[in-house]
Amino acid sequence: MSEKNIYKPQKFKLDKVVTESPLIKTFFMTPKHDFEFEAGQFVEVTIDGIGEAPYTPSSSAWVKDKMEITIMKAGYVTDKMHQLQGGEILGVRGPFGSKYPLDIFEGKEVLILGGGVGIAPLRCLILTMLEQPERYKKLHICFGARTPQDFIYKEWYKKLAAHERVNLLRSADKADESWTETEGVVTLLLDKLEVDFSTMIAVVCGPPIMMRFGTYRLLELGVKEENIYLSMEKNMSCGLGKCGHCAMGDYFVCKDGPVFTYDEIKDYPNIWI
Amino acid sequence: MKIYSVPEKRWNSFLQSLLETYRTYAPFLKYETVDYEELIPDKIDSIYYASVKPTTPLKIFHFPVKENVVKATQKEQRIIIGTPACDLAALDLMDSIFLDDEFLDIYYKENRENTIIFGKDCYGHDESCHCTSYGLTPYPQKNCDVIMSYDENNFYLQPISGKGEKILSEFGLDKEETLEELPYDVSKKRETVKSDLDKHNQKLPDSEATRKLVEREDKEELWKKHAKTCVSCGACSTICPTCHCFLLIDRVGFEKIKNWDTCQHPDFERVAAGEDPLQKLYTRLRNRYLCKYSYKPDMFGEIACTGCGRCIEACIGEINKNELIMEALE
Repeated sequence: MSEKNIYKPQKFKLDKVVTESPLIKTFFMTPKHDFEFEAGQFVEVTIDGIGEAPYTPSSSAWVKDKMEITIMKAGYVTDKMHQLQGGEILGVRGPFGSKYPLDIFEGKEVLILGGGVGIAPLRCLILTMLEQPERYKKLHICFGARTPQDFIYKEWYKKLAAHERVNLLRSADKADESWTETEGVVTLLLDKLEVDFSTMIAVVCGPPIMMRFGTYRLLELGVKEENIYLSMEKNMSCGLGKCGHCAMGDYFVCKDGPVFTYDEIKDYPNIWI
Repeated sequence: MKIYSVPEKRWNSFLQSLLETYRTYAPFLKYETVDYEELIPDKIDSIYYASVKPTTPLKIFHFPVKENVVKATQKEQRIIIGTPACDLAALDLMDSIFLDDEFLDIYYKENRENTIIFGKDCYGHDESCHCTSYGLTPYPQKNCDVIMSYDENNFYLQPISGKGEKILSEFGLDKEETLEELPYDVSKKRETVKSDLDKHNQKLPDSEATRKLVEREDKEELWKKHAKTCVSCGACSTICPTCHCFLLIDRVGFEKIKNWDTCQHPDFERVAAGEDPLQKLYTRLRNRYLCKYSYKPDMFGEIACTGCGRCIEACIGEINKNELIMEALE
């Protein structure tokens, strides 16, 4: 068999694990061979003999010799991921799926709307875009979390807010006395933006309910359906458009997605669950 | 067209010598059901050529129930005798999925390459058979290596692939009498079975009409009614020649087992956070029909039902796909 085996993972070394919040950790890995992917694509990570699950990297797509993935403890495999200490060998298959079309984003104002652990894959997009900031008119980043403590990447935001091309707004559903930013759901931040919604690009990633209300609010504000990019979460096993688990109508989300524009999927059943 | 007319005795001696090189499977009758069994010399005389379709679909040879898809395995050269046209038609879709240019499944590819298929006419039909409703014929026309018919005197072998030509010449069957077309009675029998099937299923809508019926959003009660006896066992998918869903199961050493799975199982689409688009039983039942008649035609240009009727025969809840579809017409 000289042809590539699509089911066989490549070896990655887990260098270290950083705790972001009680349920979220970031895994720093080094691939055996340089690993290329594009922002928006995902990988399947195997814990040897335990299981495999899909994640979008949270590090820049420009970095080929390292990869970071931020993972929320949500099920059997992610629970096992959280038990890893660093030093283990992991298996990685991919990259799979569609990317954010950065050439379409060029010259435009780009809104990045994220909630909870949905900020993780968006970090990949933001870091990738900020490698060439001059390509984009402005990045409006609106992030939300349940409480101030639930924000992942605590050290990152100061640097991000200081970037000349970035307008960073954050909200916490429930604030505490230390919180000086917005209190309430993340969609409230959209009302604070002074932009031309009719020409802007919007990228949304987060829990289903946030994606749903975020998208509806963007539409109300005048963002075009074809300019709203959604990263869909589905049960995925193979990542190759074969196993059927991620079927959504006539799409396999793993292959045709996970990044779709709202107008591509708005008529499909159950897109928000 | 080139058809070799092979007397029964010569055919049997061909099978005898075949067994020295190839692992061979053929249909046998056992307790009133027909299924593939491995052929051994003593059983050559009892191959059940009059079969309609084996219980097991052809897919099991190319897409086994469980297959280790990381560890390289030694694949055997196999010959399958007596595959019906419905199962051969299913190969179009299975090949589109597993042999696609972007993500080629080398295990499926090797299984396909190592298998020589003798497709066979159906000499009757089961109660649930409905291939002609979807434009297929109860005799093979494609997707096999040799098309095989028979009457009381001879076997008629028409090679339609390079592999088919090769296997017949390897054993000298190309030296047998050559016909330009099938004998009248054999052709006549084909047409009789076809028209019997047309008559048997005259009320069943064609694939396009079926698509419109299963896509209708006002039939929730119909799906709920038929789902009442569904126990989510997945037998309908297991015996379906086109159902291709699977789950990768991990084994130590980064090995992965490609294991049959089905959208009829609870949790098939459930994500870790708990959301599940197919949580309700009736939505799972309907999903299988939508997949076959609506989604797959959009994705691959053809429906994912070849009318073999096995899902009707296998259902322990006695859910009859054809009755459900005809009820939707009302």
